[in-house]
Amino acid sequence: MRLDRGFWTATAVLTVLALIVIFWWVYAPITAIMPEAVDKAAQIDALYRFLAASGSALFVYVVGYIVYFCVAFRRRSSHAADAIGVQIHDSHKLEFWWTLFPFLFVVGLAIISVRIFYGIEPINMPSNSLVVEGLGHQWYYTFRYPGINGEVKQLHLPLNQQVTLHVSSYDVIHSFWVPDMRLKVDMVPGLVNTLTFTPTRTGRYNIVCTEFCGTLHGDMRSGTPNDKAYLFIDTPAQYKSWYDSQQKANANASNEIAVASSSSINLTGGDVAAGKAMFQTKCSACHAVAPFEQKIVGPGLKGVLHDPSHPNLVDGEKATPEDVAKILQNGFSGPLGVMPNQTANGISDKDIANLVAYLNSLK
Amino acid sequence: MAVAAVHSGGIADHIHPEPQGFIRKYVFSIDHKIIGIQYMITAGIFMLLAGALAEMIRAQLMRANGGFMTPDTFNTVFTMHGSTMVWLVIIPLLTGGFGNLVMPVQIGARDVAFPWLNMIAFWIFPVSGLMLYSSFLMGAPAAGWTEYPPMSLQGAPGTSMWCAAIFLVGVGSTMTGMNFLVTILKMRAPGMTFTRMPLFVWGQFVTAPLLMIATTALGAALAALFVQREFGVPFFDPTKGGSPLLWQHMFWFYSHPAVYIMILPAFGMISEIFPTFGRKPIFGYKMIAFSSCAIAILGFMVWAHHMFTSGMAPQLQLPFMVLTMLIAIPTGVKIFSWMATLWGGVLTFSTAMLYSVGFLALFTLGGITGVFLAAVPFDLHAHGTYFIVAHFHYVIAGGSLMGALAGLYFWFPKMTGRMLNETWGKWSFWLYFIGMNGTFLPMHWLGLWGMPRRIAVYDPQFQTWNQIESVFSLVMTAGIILTFVNVLVSMKRGKKSGHNPWDARTLEWQIPSPMPYYNFKHIPSVFATPYDFAEPLPYRGLEEELTDSPPPVPAAH
Repeated sequence: MRLDRGFWTATAVLTVLALIVIFWWVYAPITAIMPEAVDKAAQIDALYRFLAASGSALFVYVVGYIVYFCVAFRRRSSHAADAIGVQIHDSHKLEFWWTLFPFLFVVGLAIISVRIFYGIEPINMPSNSLVVEGLGHQWYYTFRYPGINGEVKQLHLPLNQQVTLHVSSYDVIHSFWVPDMRLKVDMVPGLVNTLTFTPTRTGRYNIVCTEFCGTLHGDMRSGTPNDKAYLFIDTPAQYKSWYDSQQKANANASNEIAVASSSSINLTGGDVAAGKAMFQTKCSACHAVAPFEQKIVGPGLKGVLHDPSHPNLVDGEKATPEDVAKILQNGFSGPLGVMPNQTANGISDKDIANLVAYLNSLK
Repeated sequence: MAVAAVHSGGIADHIHPEPQGFIRKYVFSIDHKIIGIQYMITAGIFMLLAGALAEMIRAQLMRANGGFMTPDTFNTVFTMHGSTMVWLVIIPLLTGGFGNLVMPVQIGARDVAFPWLNMIAFWIFPVSGLMLYSSFLMGAPAAGWTEYPPMSLQGAPGTSMWCAAIFLVGVGSTMTGMNFLVTILKMRAPGMTFTRMPLFVWGQFVTAPLLMIATTALGAALAALFVQREFGVPFFDPTKGGSPLLWQHMFWFYSHPAVYIMILPAFGMISEIFPTFGRKPIFGYKMIAFSSCAIAILGFMVWAHHMFTSGMAPQLQLPFMVLTMLIAIPTGVKIFSWMATLWGGVLTFSTAMLYSVGFLALFTLGGITGVFLAAVPFDLHAHGTYFIVAHFHYVIAGGSLMGALAGLYFWFPKMTGRMLNETWGKWSFWLYFIGMNGTFLPMHWLGLWGMPRRIAVYDPQFQTWNQIESVFSLVMTAGIILTFVNVLVSMKRGKKSGHNPWDARTLEWQIPSPMPYYNFKHIPSVFATPYDFAEPLPYRGLEEELTDSPPPVPAAH
């Protein structure tokens, strides 16, 4: 039995249907339903169009053939009771092609995905971007800006300015998702995860939590009462005036996680070599000599005093040798974890001076 | 039968006296067929519970701003729905249930290799199920079936009970896996080579090592979570040097292979049903068998695709993405082979066949969206949304569960000697099929439009679609209930089926229904695959199975 006219007719019909769905997904008005708020959204939408078009076309063929076979090869009243089907067991030619075809499809898809992946993943940190920190709480978000004391409730970003958003959590795992950005990242306690993007469209956008975080998980989104966070993409002038107003309003706000004031330690004469030895004994269990993003428990400390993308330390204050010394002396408690204070760590004032000298030498 | 004795290591031909009395026969039975039915009944009861929980979820989501449950109650409900369906319904049904009932007979054995272990493995299952449900008395778990810490560390005391119950159920799964593996390796009838095994046996053969290897990782994760909750050892506490991601890695190292534990036996089932109702050999027997092996091996290398947004090093995501996409190749080969099996057949649309065709269509959709999600950039948008819910329900409710229903309609005559009502069966299929699509198809776009999963309240713009889903979920439930009613009624009043109502060719259909205690009077020998409809049956030594000749004499002790 060979492939008959019916099969080719079905193939022709299914090909037309497949072309229609491909055409639909290529031209579907995705942005009419969901605008693309940042630069990277367009790349993800392009990948989605490719996936949806190829996936729908494949689905049309598979289901179409199933339906056609079920109709064409159904048992008819003309069949004898003991009628049997075509006794073929396999066809190496056919099997070769239908292994090769998915293989080629997967290779193509992998190439496209990897290219887009390198376009959107924050593998190389941009150096001139606005650094903002997003923090998850049960059940709301807060944000920290360089130069603004404390934490603010809304996320404002200026148009066409590259943004590096570091996120973490105070309690359980949350996530930061703006559907109109097509980007999401989990807020994991003890980890700092990063998104980089450039806002390209002004407006107000919803922020949604997609990692289950307890009782009010469904309420942890924009549009619910209790002053929930939105993402506002502002013109530079609007952003400037919002930033100034927040700076003024929070001028007297204490940093929620600020450390106690410290007596100053004499940092002169710190010994780099001794500091390095002390770092390896006391600090390296939790801190890597690596960029900020490479955490063990605390952030990586390579270039902690010289990293333009992290002008502030975890306490929200400008990175200076004095501030590092203050954290070493008082310890630190924040969303990333707990660092013991000087006494608990068993280090002297001289050790602190050496450590600061060592950290200052890392560039 | 000296040959049989040699090939089966003397095990299969050694018969114990049939146990007498209700308790030994039907409660603490060591007969694989009774144990299989016990698994099915227990899983069926848990399925009714999980279905009720599912309808509570859908009722809650009728209204965007909160339904009849508090958020905390809702959280326990969806947690228990997921935990029940995965561990107390699908896995026990497909492995312990159908695997026990059919696999030993299909390889021409008298029982599994370790009948007592089989009994213990079964009895662990209802006990751990009761433990899981007893957590309602002490504050049920409420962090989703994945129980990510630190959320699960905040959970009510019942969360520790959840750990213990799932740990136990895993112990039972591991026993079953080992038992099946040894059975298939050592107890095949003479002549039943690996390339002559029915494909359902292949499904169980590939699933067994997954049960053994993956479940142990889950056990370790659950033990760690339990120890942290009860004794404060900070495995997952970042402030004390632990990591929440440790749980995710260990959990998904089990739970991704678990997806294949839930689907490979169903692949095997429809590979039996298509040839039987198409009167035509399965197309590409070897490709179907070997692609299952490829899926099982690849399945161990892709777990982190569940964690693309959770903060892995970006460079590490790429190998997981590519390996995940590779699974599409063996899966595609299977789907094309089944389609080719339908081509040129003489197709009879019994209920079992309808469910199998439905499986093929819906599993294909679930598989395609799985490839979408493998692509990291797309997953950054879709992760944690209703798109995920749609994807895995198409795989599990459209795939695994439809496979199990196909298997039920197919093998029910073998269990009971009576037919299920085919008219009701077809109604149940169409209700289930339509309800299933109406419930889960809209979830694809809801997720992409911004609706996250596991929420008791949601953005009002999604309310209409959620109401449509809830209505269709009732249709789906009606289909399931009709099958339950069908089973209860047909068990007593169904039409007598005879030993082989479908004119099927695997070994279980060559012996009486219900199957006798000893399965075979004489162990048969096998000399071809069972799928050549133009040839006589490829067995020797079955002549007396359907006659009145006396059963084999138990060995003296």
